[in-house]
Amino acid sequence: MTREEILNDLKKRFKNDIIDLLDKSPKRVYIEIKPESLVKVATYIFKDLEARFNIASGVDARTHIEILYHFSIEYLNVLISLRVKLDRKNPAIDSLAQVFKGANWIEREMYELLGIDFRGHPDLRRLLLADEWPEGVYPLRSDYKEWDKKAIRDRGV
Amino acid sequence: MKLTLKALLKSPWVFHLSTGSCNNCDIEILDCLTPRFDIERFGMLLAPSIKHADVLLVTGSCNRKSAIRLKRLYEQAPKPCLVVAIGECSLSRGMFIHSYNCPLPLDKIIPVDAYIPGCPPKPEAIIAGAVKLIQKIKGNV
Repeated sequence: MTREEILNDLKKRFKNDIIDLLDKSPKRVYIEIKPESLVKVATYIFKDLEARFNIASGVDARTHIEILYHFSIEYLNVLISLRVKLDRKNPAIDSLAQVFKGANWIEREMYELLGIDFRGHPDLRRLLLADEWPEGVYPLRSDYKEWDKKAIRDRGV
Repeated sequence: MKLTLKALLKSPWVFHLSTGSCNNCDIEILDCLTPRFDIERFGMLLAPSIKHADVLLVTGSCNRKSAIRLKRLYEQAPKPCLVVAIGECSLSRGMFIHSYNCPLPLDKIIPVDAYIPGCPPKPEAIIAGAVKLIQKIKGNV
């Protein structure tokens, strides 16, 4: 399939799931989808279109928390980013770790840094943060406040 | 000067620890060992284990996880052990001073004998720092 055929196919196949499709450049396509249909769309892109799962990135955008799942289709040289917008109060989404193992650790990282709950993740615990880090404090949230009373934040001059 | 320190100055063996640096300081330290600078001709040798080393070189802004390992390494080092901080990150954490993961500068965690500033310091600066460290131990500074 060519690039146009794939995009038209995605539009037709998931017309109830896709909120917005942004054809940004010949190499980049952003597809905003509903959070509940993530597993369906990602499975199709990964298994049927034979895309490679590069990485996922979580962003705290003040009004919402969004996750971008980046897939590259190498024989077309296209990077497809699936964008989901989550509620900031209680961010939760279905896990992709059952579909491909590469999502396992990045979901653990987003869980500890942004506090996103991944439903159905096989082993959702901390990945990188130190053991003494308190529960429920997420350092990459925009409303993060310093919790460590012993921290020194001046250069001593 | 204690005999142990005097013996140490003849040929200080160096253990190199990166506590989460960007590797630029580490590259400059390795540059000191290349034929152009060749710090080995003054007897300074990279030791593979802290238990064989006299000097602990620290690069990088100590984060919460590596600070624990740094303390453990310092406890394992045979005393007297000199500590040299290399690069802006280990001196004052540089641009990471407000990072959630870097609460303390290096010299609040373990005692530091010499500071070599720079981002990264040139090999010449590192050699000058080594000379100053030796002069300091001898009591000339």
